[in-house]
Amino acid sequence: MSEPLDIDLVVNGQPRTGRAEARRTLADFLRDDLQLTGTHVGCEHGVCGACTVLLDGEPVRSCLMFAVQAGGAEVTTIEGVTGPEGAMNPLQDALWSSHSFQCGFCTPGFVMQATALLAEQPDADEATIRAALSGNICRCTGYESIIDGVLRAAGHDVASGH
Amino acid sequence: MEQVVAERYTGARVKRSEDQRILTGRGRYVDDVQLPGMLHAAFVRSTIAHGRITGLDVEEARALPGVVAVLTGEELEAMVEPGAVGMAAAMGGARGPAFTLLCTDKVRLVGDPVVLVVAESRYVAEDACELIEVDYEDLPAVASAEAALDPSNHPIFEDLGSNVMPVAPPNIYGDVEGAFARADRVISAHLRQHRHQNVPMEGRAVVASFDPLTGQLTVHAATQGVHMVRSTMAKRLGLEPTDVRVVAEEIGGSFGLKFGTSREEIAVAVASRHLGVPVKWIEDRNENLTVSGQAREESFEVEAAVTNDGVVLGLKVKMLLDSGAYPGMGGMLAGIIQGMIPGPYKMQGLSFESTVAITNKASYVAYRGPWAAETWVRERLFDMIAAELGIDPYELRLRNVVTDGEPPLTMVTGRPLTGVTARQSLEHMAQRVDFAEFRRRQAAAREEGRYLGLGMATYIEAAPGPRAEGGPALGSEQIRARLEADGTVSVFTGQMPHGQGHQTTLAQIAADEFGVPFEDVKVVVGDTDAVPSGMTGGSRSATLAGGASLTVARALKGRVLDLAGHLLEASAADLELVDRTVAVKGVPTSALPLAAIAAAAAEPGRFPAEVDTSLDVAIVYDGGKGGWSGGTHCAQVEVDVATGLVHIDRYVVVEDCGVLINPAIVEGQVRGGVAQGVGAVLLERSAYDDNGQFLAGSFMDYLLPTAMEVPRIEIEHLETVPLDADVNFRGVGEGGMIVTPPTIGNAIADALSPFGVQILEQHLPPNRILELIGTIDPE
Repeated sequence: MSEPLDIDLVVNGQPRTGRAEARRTLADFLRDDLQLTGTHVGCEHGVCGACTVLLDGEPVRSCLMFAVQAGGAEVTTIEGVTGPEGAMNPLQDALWSSHSFQCGFCTPGFVMQATALLAEQPDADEATIRAALSGNICRCTGYESIIDGVLRAAGHDVASGH
Repeated sequence: MEQVVAERYTGARVKRSEDQRILTGRGRYVDDVQLPGMLHAAFVRSTIAHGRITGLDVEEARALPGVVAVLTGEELEAMVEPGAVGMAAAMGGARGPAFTLLCTDKVRLVGDPVVLVVAESRYVAEDACELIEVDYEDLPAVASAEAALDPSNHPIFEDLGSNVMPVAPPNIYGDVEGAFARADRVISAHLRQHRHQNVPMEGRAVVASFDPLTGQLTVHAATQGVHMVRSTMAKRLGLEPTDVRVVAEEIGGSFGLKFGTSREEIAVAVASRHLGVPVKWIEDRNENLTVSGQAREESFEVEAAVTNDGVVLGLKVKMLLDSGAYPGMGGMLAGIIQGMIPGPYKMQGLSFESTVAITNKASYVAYRGPWAAETWVRERLFDMIAAELGIDPYELRLRNVVTDGEPPLTMVTGRPLTGVTARQSLEHMAQRVDFAEFRRRQAAAREEGRYLGLGMATYIEAAPGPRAEGGPALGSEQIRARLEADGTVSVFTGQMPHGQGHQTTLAQIAADEFGVPFEDVKVVVGDTDAVPSGMTGGSRSATLAGGASLTVARALKGRVLDLAGHLLEASAADLELVDRTVAVKGVPTSALPLAAIAAAAAEPGRFPAEVDTSLDVAIVYDGGKGGWSGGTHCAQVEVDVATGLVHIDRYVVVEDCGVLINPAIVEGQVRGGVAQGVGAVLLERSAYDDNGQFLAGSFMDYLLPTAMEVPRIEIEHLETVPLDADVNFRGVGEGGMIVTPPTIGNAIADALSPFGVQILEQHLPPNRILELIGTIDPE
């Protein structure tokens, strides 16, 4: 154990301060200290992508980062891309229309990863989307519905029935 | 005038109501529960597969600041009642030896829980675990079912005296000896299914909160049924079931794993009672992979009696199942595997003999289609028979598959074959996939040194199965529905959805039957104080809960119309429910809002005394006439013989789950099952070494399919053969996972046929492909 350190950062547009031991992960800090439980922890070793958040706009695995490493940065979580009263943004809405998810545990990670992708390539094609999401694991869906949702959000026609 | 088209929600791709929580990060999973004063648990686990505990030193851990309690196996056992856990407890009793929650004398697998630490944070709890010293006397590990059969091996449970569960004598169905006597030849194979596992993205999880003032235990559970958790928790803690409340909100997947409640979860509840504060335990991924449970490790000696023109007359099967340590589910499967192994085929006889081995590996748990070995063995065997006889595998299946309505009307093992559409699924597949064109491409590719393969497999699943004439009910699904004061309807179900979308599908059915908008039906799940007993599993909810939702909505509507009839002085038969009102047909001015009817019902003395004014209706649904689910899958693959990689070029599903409640949800279930089957064959294996050391404890070792491996899946729905007047929805949760492994296995076998390779095992990762074709030496 070590003495807690002060952390100043911006989370979802709001300046936040906290104290955490050096070893405390960003995921635990967001979830337990800031009560932002939308970010999920699926493997704690950086493979499954459920804990993906944006750090200064780039997707990162919040289970692999220490909270103190996010000092001075701007963090965006699933709560930060959702509108007031839980209103869905166009990506979330497209995923909803595509029946993209089932149990929902991996979902915030996919939404954040896809958010980062579409910010860079708003009209990404299927191969690009598959590659960009290949570091996120979903155990329920077989991925097709997720790919279709992101394709829809990227402005592509998706065959009805998906 | 604008034509108003009657719309039904049932059958439509209604967007899921669950997604409004899930997509916005507002779904609450067990790990999101934070209670005042809550402590955190972690377990010290065995590092060896088999041994005696000879020493335990917890003093340093107890002294660590932030540690609140350290409970050894002995200490914990003194706080609980004896009994079963998990599936065995939920199914009404243990089969096999008794065992403690934490280890007391012996450890029986890597990851076996030995000590429970409770601390102010998970970080401190894990620090304390590091300070605990456990001394072991190593015993030789029993690392395979074959080793378990060797009587010289040390018994894992000394009181059993052997590592083999009592063997039932072979079961004989039909005229098996006659079938073999009439056969032109007997084709034999030793087929294996490898150990793999559920791996839900959320592992096991519990927050237990015992209130010393009231004596009540509240459990926040990740489970397939809150009442199963309640009954086991109450029994093991010596509490009245009414003093245990189990609640569950979002569940991050399960696939059979979270059936009932496990040793660790009970231990955490005991700790909460001991300390009088809430305690949380969230299984980490290493624990989940190592010790939550694994599935599917069976081997089969199969002999098939066949005629030279490809008629399969009968089978003789010997199964050896590796149930791991702490046998539960593994001892329950033989019956269903033998019952289903004839599938939708005309067979005259079957003999089936099974042995269940106890080994130093994770316990065998239910995993999506737990009996799927029957489809793997039969469908792989059928392709081997086809190859030996020089008959096309499709043609071989057509020669053996039953035709609905023609004899035989029952499987040789007894189940009625009423409404089986396996033949149609094969024929539709042949229309969808041009086999001849594929064979031309395959031949041309081989000229270029590329190896394409096509494989198919057919299955049926009793989801729930047809009801035999005069036979017992298919189930007893409880459900309640209530008209709320605002005129909306609440449906209370014992189903515990963990991805299946029941809050959408059951609302679709109830909304149609009751006659209100989908948005007006709320489906309440996951609270023993609110919902009737039930559980989700076995692909039973479409029929059982779907039928229950329809029936209870009908009953509630009858009650509402009856009360409205009194208020409107009209016969209930003359009333209609439209636009959230009840009116005399053709007299829109008579319309009474549903909320007004609810208000009147709540008013004392408003109705004659003999009128039942309760707008809270409970029914039990028996499953109606039921029916089979099933279908045929077809895969086209290319095997890269330089790397051993298998690429799935095309995957086609023709399936029949009766009437679709929500096609998008059905397709999600099918694709998800196929993806798990793809993982099973190409990637996933719960590997152990010869010492019982677990080798796949991270996602770098246990590989799951990603968006790069799972292809697009073409799906055709048959939706045939209504057997029941109202309820022809059938289960679809397990089928994809049941039939995909033999589909891909057959495709790979076809691709590698120029190499003279026999595919006898299910796990075919690149290194194994290279071994099979002789590029590298076997390990």
